[in-house]
Amino acid sequence: MSEPNNISFIREMFSDFYSKNADKIEPPKSIENREFGFSLFKENVMVRHKSFARIEDLRDFIKKNVPSNVYYSSAYYSFPEAKMDEKGWLGSDLFFDIDADHIPTKCNKMHDSWACKSCNFEGRGKAPEKCPNCGGESFDERTWPCEVCLEAARVETIKLIDILLEDFGLSADEIKCSFSGHRGYHVGVESDIVLELDALSRKEIVDYITGTGIDAVFHGLDEIRSGSSKIIVGPSLDDPGWRGRAARGTYDFLLRASASELKSLGIKKNVVMELVEKRDAILESWRRGGPWNTVRGLGIKGWGKIIQRGASLQSANIDTVVTVDIHRLIRLPGTLHGKTGLLKISFPVSRVEEFDPQKEAIAFKAGEVKVYVEEAPELRFGDEIFGPFKSQAVTLPTQVAIFLLCKGAARVVD
Amino acid sequence: MLTLSDLAKYPFLPEAAEEVKRLDFSIESLLQPDYAPILHRAEERIVEALTKSPPEVSYDPRRHNENVEVLSFPAAIILVSAVASDYVKKRFALAEARRAYNLLKVEDEEKIVEIAKRFGWRIRLAGISLGLEKFDFALHFVDYLRNASSFHEKGWKLVNRLVIRGEVYLSKQDVARLLQEEIRRYIESKIDPKMRSILPEEIVERANSIRKGYAENIREEPFNIESLFSSGVESDFLPPCMKELYGALLAGRHLPHIGRFTITAFLLNIGMDPNLIIDLFRKSADFNERMTRYQIEHIAGQRGSGTKYVPPKCDTLQTHGLCPGMDDLCKRVRHPLTYYLRKKKRRAG
Ligand SMILES: [Zn+2]
Ligand SMILES: [Zn+2]
Repeated sequence: MSEPNNISFIREMFSDFYSKNADKIEPPKSIENREFGFSLFKENVMVRHKSFARIEDLRDFIKKNVPSNVYYSSAYYSFPEAKMDEKGWLGSDLFFDIDADHIPTKCNKMHDSWACKSCNFEGRGKAPEKCPNCGGESFDERTWPCEVCLEAARVETIKLIDILLEDFGLSADEIKCSFSGHRGYHVGVESDIVLELDALSRKEIVDYITGTGIDAVFHGLDEIRSGSSKIIVGPSLDDPGWRGRAARGTYDFLLRASASELKSLGIKKNVVMELVEKRDAILESWRRGGPWNTVRGLGIKGWGKIIQRGASLQSANIDTVVTVDIHRLIRLPGTLHGKTGLLKISFPVSRVEEFDPQKEAIAFKAGEVKVYVEEAPELRFGDEIFGPFKSQAVTLPTQVAIFLLCKGAARVVD
Repeated sequence: MLTLSDLAKYPFLPEAAEEVKRLDFSIESLLQPDYAPILHRAEERIVEALTKSPPEVSYDPRRHNENVEVLSFPAAIILVSAVASDYVKKRFALAEARRAYNLLKVEDEEKIVEIAKRFGWRIRLAGISLGLEKFDFALHFVDYLRNASSFHEKGWKLVNRLVIRGEVYLSKQDVARLLQEEIRRYIESKIDPKMRSILPEEIVERANSIRKGYAENIREEPFNIESLFSSGVESDFLPPCMKELYGALLAGRHLPHIGRFTITAFLLNIGMDPNLIIDLFRKSADFNERMTRYQIEHIAGQRGSGTKYVPPKCDTLQTHGLCPGMDDLCKRVRHPLTYYLRKKKRRAG
């Protein structure tokens, strides 16, 4: 990653930040039952199984040791300092991670890159399974928090929050939102209700939120015989739960679906034609009973596929592994992200639409630093745009410089 | 209010335990001649569990005396504890829970709510309709998941349920099935083999004679990790998902169909002998040798279409909740077999 003198510069800046802003470090609920973990600048090692009785002790520890990253366990333990199988698990917050890494955006090809660790072969976008040059399987990846990617993560976060409020009946003050400090959002539920859910139950919640395994026949799609004719019935737009969500997703999908998209669902050519030609009539039909009987040759199976596709538009794209892991370590709000120098910062659920991560996560607000930048795409910090940069020396506001240094895209110039 | 006839139907309820206390019934009293019908019915409950397929304890209000029905349940718990067999414990708990399910299915709604609340369920009568469906009950999602998350039929997935403001909307049949699961776990938790050492000798004798008399119904083939080695399979090379499934089989835990298919196809593909795989399944409470053999041979391609099946890929396993979380190697493969082969190659090379 970064060169030694970059690292000592970054560490100095982090140290300065924590000495002035330790009060920003947020204590998790029941701090005495949490495990803490830190990664350190020097040895680049992870220190785990730490615990603190009071938030002041934790703040002192951070001020003194200046870790590059600070984590706490989503779990509560009787003995947080003990070995993993001796900790005595008491329960765990319900935690969700939404990261641009898991959301396909068109821009990742433009701003993200990777390099093979064994042969240095380089490429753009997400790293492949195997290096096309040498077949190596491990890569240095460089990803950037761009406006479009962050916005995509916000959309998923909003969908997630809607499901938590409407379907799971959680209240806004039981839900904690934060910006991860890099390319996504964290949503945590610190409520006694969810504490003892086991991994299997959490997996079911994950599948609910991602719409995994949904089948329209359990959401009102049915075929009824009346006399010699058959009538198909289905979910309505204003139904509660996944029923209504599936109907609304189907509405959205049919509003825009191209012939080739419909064909890719395995729907017959003549039916696809009719779906496209009758688009207006289909959209109109939602006012009375839905479109289920408007298309000749489209039976319950075909509708099932269309509804499933529609449902996928309504699901929230979360990192499924994180939520199921009941021993997960999570970045602590109010601390700095070692790969960006940005603040992991909490905000109330009600602010999710307006929260501006590129402004509100800025930790270093004063001064300028001169750096030599290898390569970086255009970046926004606050209301200003910086870059793109390529092999040039430039004097930048402290936060921008630290960001590029943390990313390993620049070095300090004396 | 629960009546004596309710307690005869649901003898695991706390009120039944109070009734037992009120009648001053103790382990010792079981041995008095007056109580012979109770001990007899207790043994019958266990025998029904062991011999009926599917396992199920009977209940016929015309044939069974209500007091005997209430008292013979704790007596059976004591006897099963004394038998000290994991298989008998699971089979008995399942058979009693199925007995309760059959009665609950036709129980009136208020009573079901009352019984469910004894297990701490946050449940209420809902009585709403949506489309063509009627939902009689609304149950807190956590109580739903505690019981349904181990069911693997598609219809039990939370995503295929009507969930509104923290409650899952259910039919009577659904609630009865979920209660069966809660009751099964509760009964299992009440059976404690350690009790054996403090029981009167006569009781232990009775337990031993059940064990002997029904030995062929009690399937406890010891199967351990060594036999896996002797079959040429190295457990170190198993990916986390297969370790999990394999452990579940060894412990006799219930596996969903997809889980059974996955571990069977996996073990067959890495060259394990089908007979050894059948032995692995012996521990499960609903083991049926003929069916198991048929299914394994089917997966091995020795029956039906002749296609040899491979286990599902990582993606599919994740969807079905069979991926317990990835380790470093997992992140670089897409199929559990690739994982095994890589590890094997790495060891060899
Ligand atoms: Zn390479
Ligand atoms: Zn982007």
